[in-house]
Amino acid sequence: MLEIKNLHARVAETGVEIIRGLNLTVKDGEVAAIMGPNGSGKSTLSYVLAGREDYEVTEGEILYNGQSILEMDPAERAASGIFLAFQYPMEIPGVATMEFLKVAMNAQRKARGEDPLSIPELMKRVKHAAGELSMDLAMLKRPLNVGFSGGEKKRAEILQMKLLEPKLCVLDETDSGLDIDALKIVADGVNQLRSPDRSIVVITHYQRLLDYIVPDAVHVLYKGQVIKSGDKSLAYELEENGYAGIIEEAA
Amino acid sequence: MPAVQETIEQVRKIDVDQYKYGFETEIETDKAPKGLDEDIIRFISAKKNEPEWMLEWRLGAFRRWLTLEEPNWARVEYPKIDFQDIHYYAAPKNQSGPKSLDEVDPELLKVYEKLGIPLKEQEILAGVQKEQPGEFEEAGDNVYKSGRVAVDAVFDSVSVVTTFKEELAKAGVIFCSISEAIREHPELVKKYLGTVVPTTDNFYATLNSAVFTDGSFVFVPKGVRCPMELSTYFRINEKNTGQFERTLIIAEEGAYVSYLEGCTAPQRDENQLHAAVVELIALDDAEIKYSTVQNWYPGDAQGKGGIYNFVTKRGDCRGARSKISWTQVETGSAITWKYPSCILRGDDSQGEFYSIAVSNGYQQVDSGTKMIHLGKNTKSRIISKGIAAGFSQNTYRGQVSAHRKATNARNFTNCDSLLIGDQCGAHTVPYMEAKNSTAKFEHEATTSKISDDQKFYVMQRGIPEEEAIALIVNGFVKEVIQELPMEFAVEAQKLIGISLEGSVG
Amino acid sequence: MNVQIQPPRTPAEAALIDAFGERLSLLPGNGEVTLKRDAAIEAIKAGLPTRRIEAWHYTDLRRLLTAVPAFDATAKATPVAPLIEGSSILALLNGAAGKAPAIEGVTISAVSEKLGDGTYASALGAQDADDAIGALNSAFVADGWLLDIADGTVLEKPIELQNVQAGGQVHARLAVKVGAGVTATIVERQTGTGAALVSSVDNVVVGEGSNITWLIVQEQPDTATHLGQFNAWIGKDAKLTLFVMNTGGKLVRQEIRVVTKGQGSDFQLRGVNLLAGDTHTDVTMVLDHAVPHTGSREIVRNVVTGRANGVFQGRINVHQVAQKTDARMACNTLLLSDEGEFSTKPELEIFADDVQCGHGATVTEIDRNHLFYLMARGIDEKTARGLLVKAFVAEVIEELEDEPVVDALEALLDNWFQAHG
Repeated sequence: MLEIKNLHARVAETGVEIIRGLNLTVKDGEVAAIMGPNGSGKSTLSYVLAGREDYEVTEGEILYNGQSILEMDPAERAASGIFLAFQYPMEIPGVATMEFLKVAMNAQRKARGEDPLSIPELMKRVKHAAGELSMDLAMLKRPLNVGFSGGEKKRAEILQMKLLEPKLCVLDETDSGLDIDALKIVADGVNQLRSPDRSIVVITHYQRLLDYIVPDAVHVLYKGQVIKSGDKSLAYELEENGYAGIIEEAA
Repeated sequence: MPAVQETIEQVRKIDVDQYKYGFETEIETDKAPKGLDEDIIRFISAKKNEPEWMLEWRLGAFRRWLTLEEPNWARVEYPKIDFQDIHYYAAPKNQSGPKSLDEVDPELLKVYEKLGIPLKEQEILAGVQKEQPGEFEEAGDNVYKSGRVAVDAVFDSVSVVTTFKEELAKAGVIFCSISEAIREHPELVKKYLGTVVPTTDNFYATLNSAVFTDGSFVFVPKGVRCPMELSTYFRINEKNTGQFERTLIIAEEGAYVSYLEGCTAPQRDENQLHAAVVELIALDDAEIKYSTVQNWYPGDAQGKGGIYNFVTKRGDCRGARSKISWTQVETGSAITWKYPSCILRGDDSQGEFYSIAVSNGYQQVDSGTKMIHLGKNTKSRIISKGIAAGFSQNTYRGQVSAHRKATNARNFTNCDSLLIGDQCGAHTVPYMEAKNSTAKFEHEATTSKISDDQKFYVMQRGIPEEEAIALIVNGFVKEVIQELPMEFAVEAQKLIGISLEGSVG
Repeated sequence: MNVQIQPPRTPAEAALIDAFGERLSLLPGNGEVTLKRDAAIEAIKAGLPTRRIEAWHYTDLRRLLTAVPAFDATAKATPVAPLIEGSSILALLNGAAGKAPAIEGVTISAVSEKLGDGTYASALGAQDADDAIGALNSAFVADGWLLDIADGTVLEKPIELQNVQAGGQVHARLAVKVGAGVTATIVERQTGTGAALVSSVDNVVVGEGSNITWLIVQEQPDTATHLGQFNAWIGKDAKLTLFVMNTGGKLVRQEIRVVTKGQGSDFQLRGVNLLAGDTHTDVTMVLDHAVPHTGSREIVRNVVTGRANGVFQGRINVHQVAQKTDARMACNTLLLSDEGEFSTKPELEIFADDVQCGHGATVTEIDRNHLFYLMARGIDEKTARGLLVKAFVAEVIEELEDEPVVDALEALLDNWFQAHG
């Protein structure tokens, strides 16, 4: 699904290198957790995957289903099936959530050469997905993310993920700002999406989320590199001993 | 919002020159010779079979105009206009006055068909049938109506036809061209014309008073709610002509009317002058809602050609509890100089101004409003959204004043500007004048650009850059779009998308 | 058609032109200085600005300046006690510079000297067609202070520049060149006892990394006309905080023209206008953000009583290169009298796209809820109103955070409320 080779990326404006020779492979159908202390480059990695212009890739390669995506803009990457659930979803004043969903779904369908969804079909899908996430339909009439609580924003992200049916989901600190009930609902939403042809990258600082979204693989990111990989037991090890031990070990 | 997709479609289809109403029609015309003097005014007045008092009124205005100077305080620049190099009258031959639909030149009907304006009475405005709002969509505060609209079509200097006249007459509503009103309803015209915008008001309004050729007249009698939307569609076709239309709308006690105005012109290299005057009068408990979608030819990508749109629009809330609401979507014209205003004379009267002004290319916009609080407990609200792209200059200029006796005057003003690109300018010039201690004015203004964060977020969902910007811009202007009648809201959103075409890059 | 007709001269215009003829030979400077003065008086001959000039829209100087007093060579002014104890005082007594004290790190000279030797000629002249104050001052300026503050100077105590008039006409200059890395507080006092016509122009250049607080305290008697102009250019990473307080004068116009010249520079304006009687007070600011990455905040609070007429015009120009500008302006007015008037024109002129700019303006009366709350606690209405009005302006003063400065300004506030409350 995803193969990152010796990736180097820096902040375009300042030239500060954040990702420093990162290697990572995520297999089809795999749920991979990326953990790391603050400032290790976790969010940067998610932005670089999604194609944010503020970061420049200076070296290395990102292969998605064997193809390089570095030349693709964010919309092209999204249409090819890469979805980023943002740590801080943006507020878009004046644009109703429902309307946004429609435009996004149809833009992606169009890019794939499919016909736009009819309004009844669209409504059916949205109602169904929102129901599974215990979301109030009234919320969908409100402008996207404007005035949403932290939990509502994260749920709206998962709703978009369900509706857009991506192949590679990147969840950036989806657990931050969620109480335990909201966390369970969000995790359920993600678990429903697990399938052999879909991979999920869960970026998180804490092990807590991984109790609900159980990963197949855990990678520890530090100073822009994966310094250790393992199975879910690695997450428990981190929970107990913190990052210091692993960092020392790697150094 | 079906229009978003529509916008995108339109944007995609259009080439460099995006103005789609730029065609010219070969129609035989009757023109006055170029130039302006008392004889030309006599000629116009005679063409219109006007009574003597009207001619005198015009001549009075003309003599006054000779003593006036062109205003220069607005933030617009243009070469000096040669007022002697303009035709002040041009009309399709054999079309000196509105006739019934059957008698209208089929070529003219084709023009309006091409523009998407329904002149057949069984039809409704183009676009509406196809775009029923979806189940989950809210039409703002507007209740979705049947979409029947009466149209007064003004072609160059004359009104060619007015639809639904008879049906409106049954309700007591007079809707006709101003020329017809001068002949048929002189007592009403005499009583109200020039009472809101006097012939001495300003350079362009005074010029208009001297040479106006046509426009619409609406009279809604006491207690009547006008049974359908009224609309005027202005089209400049002839070369080197000025268009000077005059609109007068009167809503008597307790009456209600919603009026829409649209404008287009062919693509030409020369600049053309459009100097209109609109007067609204609302008596006790009356309400007038006036919406404009202004799409005059803006000039080409190099800034050549385009309409100079120098317009005086003013509403007089003459009666207690009356209300006048202006909504405008300005996307056209090379230069826009326009300040639809409200004089809040009646106690408890209300004025509103909702505006979207989009400028691209080399367009210059200097537009805003005046809210003059004279009566007690008067309220006004101003929402202005300016979007500047390309090499354009976009200025909001607005005045709010409370006079000595305007106790409890209230105003809320919000003007936001959005810049797309670093070659354009966005300017905000509000004037607030309070002479009453119980007045309460609040003004806020912001200028920003579309944030990279927002754009990235929208694109991450698979929406290409140009569509992402159209989507965010449509969100930015939503508050104003909601004020438009449904039929125009759809058109307006498309227009905004088209106007910003090519601004990304 | 459309012939521009020069209106007849007003008595004030005629008096100024006559005075120039009489005074020129008595004013310091020859050659270049005289040429500059001659050029400046031409602007006055063309007519004082009217409301048709956008920059003077609310202060029609031609109409409002009804009379011009003659120069009074016999009038004697005396220095006033400093606003902040321990300040070094540089006084201008009815337009003439007195003796300068020695201040470490500061080179001081009198403007009359530099006009006399011609070295100050280049500073004369109007800045643009709207600059009537610059023109008037350039034509007539006789004296003032020139200060040069050396790099790295940190002044523990403020410098107080006093312009004290005793009648007639006073035209003064205060020019301060601040080196790099300077920290200083400068107090400018505009006061006096006569029905004078005063013009006072400040030119301040703030060097790299300096932090300057400048207070303009204008307490002219209600018979005087005060035309002030503060010009400043702020260098790289430097900060200028300007505090303007107007509590007096019959006809007052205080112009503020500031340019952020260096990246990382910051301008703060705080204004308090306490207006009473039958007076007209105009504060007009033009701020140019001329380079990238600069910031500004302006907060002006006005209290209008009696038949006073107040004006605030503030224009922020963001130049095309000035990306990442962060500029905010607020003007709030309490209009306490039905015979008073306040007009605001906060303008934004923006040519750069990656900026955050905004302005807010309000005109209101005292918040009824606040008033009710205080009265419900047993405070009588008059006292409660006084408290709320004072709190409204004190908020801006307290932000200065320099205790002696805050105390001194609050004392002025108390005095004004005692006299006009």
